[in-house]
Amino acid sequence: MIFKNKVALITGGSRGIGRAITIKLATQGANVIINYMRKREAAEKTAQKAREKGVKAHIIKANIGDPEKIGTMFDEIEAKFGRLDILVNNAASGVARSALEIDARSWDWTMDINARAALLCTQRAVKLMPNGGSIINISSLGSRMVLPLYSVVGISKAALEALTRYLAIELAPKGISVNGVASSAVNTEALKLYSKGLSPDKKSWQTTPVGRMVEPEDIADVVSFLCSDEAAMIRGQIIVVDGGRSLTPPDYIPLENNQEN
Amino acid sequence: MLDSKNIEETVRDIVLRITRKPDANFSSTTGFKELEADSLDMVQILVALEDTFDIEISDEEINEVRNMGELVTYIGKKRVEKGST
Repeated sequence: MIFKNKVALITGGSRGIGRAITIKLATQGANVIINYMRKREAAEKTAQKAREKGVKAHIIKANIGDPEKIGTMFDEIEAKFGRLDILVNNAASGVARSALEIDARSWDWTMDINARAALLCTQRAVKLMPNGGSIINISSLGSRMVLPLYSVVGISKAALEALTRYLAIELAPKGISVNGVASSAVNTEALKLYSKGLSPDKKSWQTTPVGRMVEPEDIADVVSFLCSDEAAMIRGQIIVVDGGRSLTPPDYIPLENNQEN
Repeated sequence: MLDSKNIEETVRDIVLRITRKPDANFSSTTGFKELEADSLDMVQILVALEDTFDIEISDEEINEVRNMGELVTYIGKKRVEKGST
């Protein structure tokens, strides 16, 4: 119970990777605040699952692409909990298009939710962390690799990673650690949006040298570690969780399975 | 308090603003396809409608809505369910 009595906000915490992070932190004793944009039923189910771990769970509906809604959300957190120990900037959205097809509103929508919201949430969260805390930004390999139809999302994740480094240095003296986690394709509903742009040969992106796809719980485990005291000297880093996927060409076959060579 | 006429006017303002068609025809039979609403338009419309009317819109239910008349009726029904007439 390393996070007993801590308070954690997970944006987009009701489904997919966010849900796994919420449950992981709750399992380790944290009271969790689950932000969601539209799927109330999913948020309530995740909150119930968290409560079964013996912690408090609270849901807040807010489109964090809207600064006003971020303000309202943090007003509620301040009134209800009075403080925050962990912020996980996980919520993400985007439009599956090539770079040349991106228009201004697609750009704004994606950047506002995936990058600007992390900054605005952090600015408010810091005021609720007078005794220090942890901030984790959830990125993806699309920040540094070119993935089909992923253009504006990848760009927003690159911005998020740069923001992670700047915040890590600015907030280090305040006892607040800031790090990021970037993964390859993760087995979630959101993947369906982008998978149509990927190779029909699913093995090329659904497997890793480890032999399986990255699961939401793999990300949650690393988030938990980064929020722990053991990670105190890790600052401004983006930890890649991809089973080694980004280190090899797509058609690479590990030697053990490639005896002909 | 919003009556059905006010709901219709508010829905029209939101839909036409987000689809960037301020002068488009908006009648009870106008469909999202006629407004050339793309996936981002649809998400933004649903978020705006939920915020404005303080309701939760189900993806399954909204997929059954064929035109603006049905959308206005659907929102009215959701508001009644929530007790915010």
